[in-house]
Amino acid sequence: MNHIFFVTLKLLFERKRQTLVAIIGVSIGVGAFIAMASLMNGFQKYFIEQALDLNAHVTLKIKDEPDKERILRKVYGDNVSFSIFGAKPKELKDKIIDYKFLIKKFEKDPNIVGIAPHLTGQGIVRYGTVDKSATLVGIDPTLERRASVIDKFISNKKLDVLISDRDSIIIGKLLARDLGIDEMGKKVIITTPNGITHLFKVVDFFDSGITMLDQTRIYMNLKTLQTIFNKPNEVNEIIFRVKNVYQANEIAEKIKNETGYYTESWQKAFRNFLQLFKIQNYITYMIVFAILIVSAFGIFNIIMMTVLEKKRDIAILKALGYENKDIIRIFVFHGVTIGFLGALLGCLLGYGIQEFLASVNVSVEGLVRTKGFALDRDPLYFIYGVLFAFVFSTFAAFYPSYKASKLNPIDIFRSSA
Amino acid sequence: MSIVIQLRDISKKIRDETILKNINLSISKGEFISIIGPSGSGKSSLLYILGLLDIPSSGEVYVEGEKIEFTESSKIAHFRNLKFGFVFQFHYLIAEFSLLENVMVPMVKAGISREDAKEKAALLLQKLGLGGKEKRKPFQISGGEQQRVAIARALANDPILIIADEPTGNLDSKNTAIVMDIFCKLHMEGKTVIMVTHEIELTERTERIVKMLDGKIMEDLELSKKKC
Ligand SMILES: Nc1ncnc2c1ncn2[C@@H]1O[C@H](COP(=O)(O)OP(=O)(O)OP(=O)(O)O)[C@@H](O)[C@H]1O
Ligand SMILES: [Mg+2]
Repeated sequence: MNHIFFVTLKLLFERKRQTLVAIIGVSIGVGAFIAMASLMNGFQKYFIEQALDLNAHVTLKIKDEPDKERILRKVYGDNVSFSIFGAKPKELKDKIIDYKFLIKKFEKDPNIVGIAPHLTGQGIVRYGTVDKSATLVGIDPTLERRASVIDKFISNKKLDVLISDRDSIIIGKLLARDLGIDEMGKKVIITTPNGITHLFKVVDFFDSGITMLDQTRIYMNLKTLQTIFNKPNEVNEIIFRVKNVYQANEIAEKIKNETGYYTESWQKAFRNFLQLFKIQNYITYMIVFAILIVSAFGIFNIIMMTVLEKKRDIAILKALGYENKDIIRIFVFHGVTIGFLGALLGCLLGYGIQEFLASVNVSVEGLVRTKGFALDRDPLYFIYGVLFAFVFSTFAAFYPSYKASKLNPIDIFRSSA
Repeated sequence: MSIVIQLRDISKKIRDETILKNINLSISKGEFISIIGPSGSGKSSLLYILGLLDIPSSGEVYVEGEKIEFTESSKIAHFRNLKFGFVFQFHYLIAEFSLLENVMVPMVKAGISREDAKEKAALLLQKLGLGGKEKRKPFQISGGEQQRVAIARALANDPILIIADEPTGNLDSKNTAIVMDIFCKLHMEGKTVIMVTHEIELTERTERIVKMLDGKIMEDLELSKKKC
């Protein structure tokens, strides 16, 4: 192989400009791949993480799926997204009164880390003259802590005030903003659908980064909500935190079988988003694929040009005893070296873009709210980038190299004599 | 005298045209042969077959008594690398390589380490009067010097036969004389040389003259041994 390295490296080095152009082409492809993958997956992972932190891994609740939807789901399975309009509401049995027993029962399960009861309902919150509808969530702060990472999202860590002051609430940051509340201690009036109004004190803010939640949610003591809803000792949701989030589906199934209640894993709860992410990923990878194809064509071009320009040299190499496979190896190695160096440079470029994105201080407010970009800086993307560049450059170099090897030296000697 | 290479009843057809007709030729070790003939008579074609660059349409080629199987392309390449040294009218030096590296090209293919190849190539260049210019690129030397580098490269693996197709075709009389002196010197050292030329006076320095016409050997003249 010594002779292959000797000839190839010499050619590469002496043709600096061409080599450099090809290397830069590849590095842009690889860099773009790394940057896009970390940006896209970073966003998705961030969203899922936040959602998982908040939304419980498994939720046990009253089955409120309309019949039609249940029937459709039976036919099409759980991986299909659809919505039904105009379904008639029906009287739902929305009671879980044996929740204390259920919590006791599943507390011992080693796969379950925490269990907490929720009573949720709709209400109108009024501050001054502003009305907003809100989702009221009654929680037991002590249990809630074990079943979710609620503390993480509470601005001033005043969750325990809900225990000591039964008339206190924690209110979503965006909801507070919409109402015009900018500091704690403000008093708001909450009206429930059954007509009861109650005065509450805002003791803290809730800031999850998920717009949908921050705009609607109000936390209060479970007992308080049970009282104002007139539902003593009743909840309509129990959340479970599991050890391994990817077992949530099985655990949900198990709880359902053992209790007879409807359960929902986070995967099922977020199936619309997961589906959306899948499409997003397809698009990303298609773009990246296109970039890589372009840089592969760059390599193809360079090798093809080199082969055409070097016909005489190929002829003399063959006359001097270089075999067809040597010629193929020389030019494939040529392409692979470009691919490899391009990949290395691409990694640097990708890293640079990551650093840049990480330092950018933009406020994103859409599906999620973040300061700056959520990046997933998994080293795997670098490995993939290098691997892609390697495979693509080998393939791109192969055809011109094969062509070169098929060159008949006599034809060259005759035509240039 | 041992026979270096032998052609038996070689014919070469390209499409309908027969460019070599029933060629029989034996080359013994140490011979200095010239081939002459008008343009298009098949001189180059004959050299390509001698040098295993081309495959005859019929007939057999023996190299040091061994019959060549033209399907064994790897073995043929190996033979070209080790047993033949080619010099053409054009030098065919690789532009990006230094003179030294150009001479090293056949050596590294033969499996010689880079250090040894460097040393050997430098010696060859020295021998051909190019000492001190090893690091230059082909475009940085004269046409006569380029041809001498090509000869050095042909000698790289110490071949049994040097095949030269109009090696002086592009050179002025001074450089022609230098190249002929080199071939003479190689001949005196016992090398076997076969050379195509258009210049009758050059054939006078050789020991054997093969005259070609229309793809046939018309005359095969053995001259008396002499100091060329
Ligand atoms: N590819 C080809 N197709 C058809 N005919 C060819 C081809 N190559 C060579 N020939 C013919 O073969 C004959 C011999 O060519 P060759 O090159 O061997 O002649 P030559 O004696 O070396 O001539 P010159 O002195 O001009 O170099 C010529 O008539 C030429 O036209
Ligand atoms: Mg010729």
